[in-house]
Amino acid sequence: MAKSIIPIGPYHPLQEEPEFFTLTVDGETVVDIDVSIGYNHRGIEKLSEMKTFDQSTFVIERICGICSTSHPFAYTRAVEDIIPVEVPDRAKYIRTIIGEGERIHSHLLWLGLAGHFLGYNTVYMWVWKLREEILDAMEILSGNRNNYAMFKPGGVRRDINSEDIPPALRKIESIVPTLNKLKKAIIDDPVLHARLKGIGILTKEEALDYCALGPTSRASGVAKDVRKDAPYGAYDQVEWDMIVTENGDVFDKVVVRVLEMFESVKIMKQCLENLPPGEIDLNIKNIPPGEGIGAHEAPRGETFHYVRSDGTNRPARHKVRAPTFMNLPTFKATVIGETISDATIILASIDPCYCCTERMSVMNCRGKKIYSGEDLVRLSQDKTKLIQKKMGLK
Amino acid sequence: MTREEIVKDLKGRFKADIIDFFDKSPKRVYMEIKPESLVRCASYIFKDLRARFNIASGVDTPTHIEILYHFSLEYINLLVTLRIKLERDNPAVDSLAPVFKGANWIEREIHEILGVDFKGHPDMRRLLLPDEWPAGVYPLRRDYTEWDKNAIRDRGV
Amino acid sequence: MKLPKIRELTEAIKALLSKPYTSKFPKKPHIPHPNFRGQPVYNEDKCVGCLACEQVCPVEAIDHRDDADPSNPKRIMIHYTDTCIFCGSCEAACIADKEGIKLSNEWDLAFFDRKTAQETIEKELQLCEICGEPIACKDHLKWIAEKIGELSYSSPTLYFSHLKSLGIIDDNLIQASRDYGRSDRVKILCARCRRESTLTTSSR
Repeated sequence: MAKSIIPIGPYHPLQEEPEFFTLTVDGETVVDIDVSIGYNHRGIEKLSEMKTFDQSTFVIERICGICSTSHPFAYTRAVEDIIPVEVPDRAKYIRTIIGEGERIHSHLLWLGLAGHFLGYNTVYMWVWKLREEILDAMEILSGNRNNYAMFKPGGVRRDINSEDIPPALRKIESIVPTLNKLKKAIIDDPVLHARLKGIGILTKEEALDYCALGPTSRASGVAKDVRKDAPYGAYDQVEWDMIVTENGDVFDKVVVRVLEMFESVKIMKQCLENLPPGEIDLNIKNIPPGEGIGAHEAPRGETFHYVRSDGTNRPARHKVRAPTFMNLPTFKATVIGETISDATIILASIDPCYCCTERMSVMNCRGKKIYSGEDLVRLSQDKTKLIQKKMGLK
Repeated sequence: MTREEIVKDLKGRFKADIIDFFDKSPKRVYMEIKPESLVRCASYIFKDLRARFNIASGVDTPTHIEILYHFSLEYINLLVTLRIKLERDNPAVDSLAPVFKGANWIEREIHEILGVDFKGHPDMRRLLLPDEWPAGVYPLRRDYTEWDKNAIRDRGV
Repeated sequence: MKLPKIRELTEAIKALLSKPYTSKFPKKPHIPHPNFRGQPVYNEDKCVGCLACEQVCPVEAIDHRDDADPSNPKRIMIHYTDTCIFCGSCEAACIADKEGIKLSNEWDLAFFDRKTAQETIEKELQLCEICGEPIACKDHLKWIAEKIGELSYSSPTLYFSHLKSLGIIDDNLIQASRDYGRSDRVKILCARCRRESTLTTSSR
């Protein structure tokens, strides 16, 4: 049977960042998949060795636009682990607030995109309108909608004024009623059940073998979360639950992310109301030689930073590991055996944060173009319409 | 098993392989082992102690090349790091990809960025560097020099 | 099946009747929250010209040029707005009570020609009275003298700067002869000339 090869990428509208997937299909079923990355490699680890510890924080912040706080959070914890030292309580609470605010806006962004891939463009627009409230709240608290520039080794750089807390809290709590409506709409919808349940299953053994992280592994029953296993910041002083589901398919990944947003709102509310007084910065003057490791639960999984210092004011080695690095290889386990129209939503369900989104094009072995990028999105949206028709809703 | 039991177990089981054991803090343990015993130690920690493999970091120092393997034992909040030191001229070590699939990509990255050879890796292709990058040039080494004459290195105005 | 439809229908009707969520920019101007971190702006009176902001900037968006013309010595501080990342490190590092450079609320910074994307101020520069090389800005020497109080009387450079700015000694006071001897030690000097005048004897 003649096999066709479908290249997806590097520039594809379905993904947020450039990756190049090559799917080998046999008819409609995917038999093999290969990923090549590196289109956004900026040499940040080498650049970090030329900046001082404080300046390096700003470079690290710009590794990713959506999970922009998780990298400085893990990096500053790694630098503080070299000494080792604990930051003051007020700094811990402020760090937690910024980290959770970023989690809410990142999950909302992904939810909107998932809605778009499936053909629910209204969900896309509504969810991104909801996201504006969170971005406004972050602007009040930190001064910017995205790269917050709040972290430094030893504490935080700016304080939160007490008169800014009530308007920010109001904006954050205003999204909960709409989120409730969305949760019921998603969990009850039979079309979504038929479309998303049972596809792209990642079993628990595979999740442990590939060392998958974050919602990708929590949807497969692996109950690991850095905020619960190795508590830091204010996570052990507020009440919240870890969301774990059992099936490991795409539907479960959606459910995990939607429910995590409610927990984040709970954490932010408790932190903003109980902000302890005190210092926000330890004023670390110099870092002794040694090595340190810092980890933080980003919206996509655990971010891991390893910093080695040789006593000067610059890092000697800085290793950055984004959570998508461990999640991406799971495609080999989830996409093989599925159809082309499902491949896009499975690829998007791990929420890749490696800077990619580009045209997809489908070509057969002889180089003839069968489908273009927009066609593949349309294929995915068409399958949803087919299911809706079958269920008598259209 | 508690933290003390695990530390004692590791020290006793790999007595012949450990060169140095540094118990830094309640959550961090650094073990330096001989390169030959890497697969044995890593398989034990991953399979029997049910640890999660975090990542491997390659470091270039003036005297040697180090690779650190970080494993995370969440149930006791402990991070165990295995450290191996290799020669700078021809660094080579056994690959961990046959033991668990999580090590596949990071070994490809360390191979092309630092020049370490992983024996037995099933798929040693380029991961991050483009295809036009010259072979034998390793960007993260300290003696790396710029080879691209057309690259812009100023503000660009 | 009917209940979800009613839920979505009420949302749709509500959205239809209310005004659009998007703002009417550029017809109506957008005023950000006062906490918003916009473009850094220099304050020519408060800035002392110490170059701390230049050293701290993570992206090298601040630069300076010294003009050692004896009739009009000046130091030009340049801030490149196209490179700036609006992090606020310069404001946090400013020694003049964080007033020399401050982040304003300006965010509409688009330009057509990249060479015009810079903001400059000029500060008066103090030149060495023997060799003519720049020492530091006059305001910076005044700042140091005020900060260390009476200890500034250990260095003629510092106390002369302070007293000249207070108007107690004549601004045009210069020594007639140049002999690297005692009289040359009591002048405003750069570091190299100060070392040579202190270590050499009076005859040359």
